[in-house]
Amino acid sequence: MSVETHAHHEHPDVVGSRNRLGVILLLVADIAFALSMVFVYFYLRGQNVNDMWLPAATADRPAIEPLSAGPGWTATAIVALGLLAHMYGLKGARSQNQTQLKLGSLVALVVSVVAMVYQYNTIATAPFTFSDGAYVSCFYMFAIMNLVHILLTVFISLGNWNRARLGLYVENFWHVDIVRIWWIWMVVSSLLGAFSLSYP
Amino acid sequence: MTTLTQHKAVAPGKSIIEKLNVFTALALGVISAIVVWRLSLAFLPEESESARLFSREDKITLLSMCGWFVGFMTGIGALVGPFRWLMGKDLSHSENMFLAGENMGPKRYLRYTTDHKVVGIQYLFITILIFFLGGGMAMLIRTNLGTPEGGWLHPQAYNSIVGTHGILMIVGTIIMVTGPFGNFIMPIMIGARDMAFPRLNALSFWLIVAAAVPLIWGQFIGGITTGWSAYNPLAGQAPLGMDGYIMYICIFALSTMVAGANITTTVVKMRAKGMTWNRTPIFIYGVVASVALALPAFPVFFLSQILSAFDRALDTSFYNVAGGGSGWLYENLFWIMGHPEVYVILIPAVAALMEMAPVFTRRPLFSFNVAVLGIAGISGLSVLVWAHHMYISGWAPLLNAPFMLTTELISIPTGMLFLVLVGTLWRGRIWMTMPLMSIMALLWNFMIGGVTGIYLSDVPADAFLHGSMYVTAHFHYTLMGAGLTGALASLVYWFPKMTGRMFDKRLSWISFWMVQIGFNVAFIGMFMVGLAGQPRRVEAYAPTFNTANLVTTIGAYTIMIGMLVLLHGVISSARNGVKAPKNPWQAKTLEWTVDYPIPLENFDVLPVVTSDAYGYGKAKS
Repeated sequence: MSVETHAHHEHPDVVGSRNRLGVILLLVADIAFALSMVFVYFYLRGQNVNDMWLPAATADRPAIEPLSAGPGWTATAIVALGLLAHMYGLKGARSQNQTQLKLGSLVALVVSVVAMVYQYNTIATAPFTFSDGAYVSCFYMFAIMNLVHILLTVFISLGNWNRARLGLYVENFWHVDIVRIWWIWMVVSSLLGAFSLSYP
Repeated sequence: MTTLTQHKAVAPGKSIIEKLNVFTALALGVISAIVVWRLSLAFLPEESESARLFSREDKITLLSMCGWFVGFMTGIGALVGPFRWLMGKDLSHSENMFLAGENMGPKRYLRYTTDHKVVGIQYLFITILIFFLGGGMAMLIRTNLGTPEGGWLHPQAYNSIVGTHGILMIVGTIIMVTGPFGNFIMPIMIGARDMAFPRLNALSFWLIVAAAVPLIWGQFIGGITTGWSAYNPLAGQAPLGMDGYIMYICIFALSTMVAGANITTTVVKMRAKGMTWNRTPIFIYGVVASVALALPAFPVFFLSQILSAFDRALDTSFYNVAGGGSGWLYENLFWIMGHPEVYVILIPAVAALMEMAPVFTRRPLFSFNVAVLGIAGISGLSVLVWAHHMYISGWAPLLNAPFMLTTELISIPTGMLFLVLVGTLWRGRIWMTMPLMSIMALLWNFMIGGVTGIYLSDVPADAFLHGSMYVTAHFHYTLMGAGLTGALASLVYWFPKMTGRMFDKRLSWISFWMVQIGFNVAFIGMFMVGLAGQPRRVEAYAPTFNTANLVTTIGAYTIMIGMLVLLHGVISSARNGVKAPKNPWQAKTLEWTVDYPIPLENFDVLPVVTSDAYGYGKAKS
């Protein structure tokens, strides 16, 4: 009896190709999730039920003003920087330059942490509370989901850098290639949020 | 060959993987829930006076359930792999073998075991358990409806039992074919050694176990009083038990996504050499279509419940009309998942019966290409029909006609599947077994379910029938009459390969006839009261509906007895049944080429496929 499969003794290219498809399929689910959020945003914006998309001023509170589109695009720009750093590292892996791989992975990790802190700060300093109407609800939806995404990115980037540091990508580096797919999706998903919030 | 003994010789102390099992998971889950609950009580600030009633309690409940979830998944070992990857210490050969459950005996069923055959049996067990619980609730409902005045159950408890029965059975029927048979049989059928991602396979199963506890928990804190669809804003005002439903759905959705990616990758990348798409068994198409539909559909359901949790715990306004939200938003999100979900249930069950049809008629599958086209057509159209559930809600009346059209169009690919089954049976050399008879039952039940569905897809007819017992009878005819029939036939058909023993023929027939007769008695009666105007989800009704309701209750008890006979058949056949030969049905798919017990990696040498699986020759002319 062969015991090769459970020991992962198949050719790395075969395993890599399978893992790549698996990640893409998982991302299909995540894409459906993200597009649903965009649908929620524009549906509620279009309906403006009871004029509560952006509630007018009342005796108890001032009118709700939408946030500037800046923070959303800034978060996207930071994540895009992370993608570039990761691509730089991947290029190093492809050219057997381990130093470049380690440097790119480390910068990507640092950028993901910066993105996490920035996103958290955006949520913590938002000038409204959860109950301030539909726009605010959607703002928190995008911001919190982006934070969750970035937290996952920090985990993945940390693992990627650590594995690069340990020299685990010397012979085959399909992990690094798959992490690139994740980073690309991070940029696109962040961009979807920023784009939506640009139309308050 | 590396064995567990050798592994232990290398590492005398027990590694973390060896220490974790379902008991550590339960313990850690309970401890985490209690710790988070106490911390939340201590540190969550009191709500302001303007906050929605109970939102603090909702926060505490949801956080505690999250605590349970994280604790349970940690305790079962789901996080070992990711953290070992993070640390750059990938699982060793011996650890992978341990996870595969080699030489471990029955204990492997209580662990995070990665062998697809173990996961298949685990799925079979949990499916039976879900049907046992959901079926028990159905009996409580039918007993209460045996008399017009009801009163046997408290109305609040009745509502909660209806909702819980609904969601339990939906989940049970979703996993009833792709879970046990998609995991146990499918990899062998395509000539693979295991699933593409064995650890994700184990994850998808244990997520369902983790999801069950919040649902049960919810029963003790107000229950699920909204029906299985949990419409908002009703759900936003429901008791704390609703939080159990939300967690249950969120965790189950994760399981579905993981399973969907895993099964699809396995089929696309790991089919045996020579198994072209034209030679791939039709059952595989059914399983892949089911999970491929679920992959984009369940995240939408997932989001709908996250937003529901936000509304309840954080006082946001997604569904709260006073704050700018919309109940229609929920209905859209729910049914964008909800209608593909019907076909997630149906397609693999019908495909399993299409797989069996050539075996028991000894002739090729009638028009393989039409079968594939039918499955693809149903899958494609099923994502374009969701708003037929919302005709009466008042949402977008202008879209009623297009949605009526897409819904009625779906009867064309469905008809193709009927054609394939009837064409295969036509002039075949019929081998009268329970699975073969199940094909006949499916044709009968699914025809009734399908035709009544056409009435419901018609806007004027739906205006009268919506919200009535007619709807309940209709979807039971499709999900149970067609779906469950296919699943039970699959159980009898693949039982020899899963247990090494034949299913008791006499018990399979007794169970079949009791379930089918009971089913038709129960739900024809339900159609009658529905047409006469009895609304669904009511605890008491007008005396004029009494006779048909009593008939339905008698039918339901007959189903229950039939299912208990089947359960007895499963247990007694697995323990004392006649030992099965390698290929008792003389079928031609790959799973019948391996001996029982099936080796850990299924095949000594991976097979090479040179023809399709339906070469039984031609029928008598």
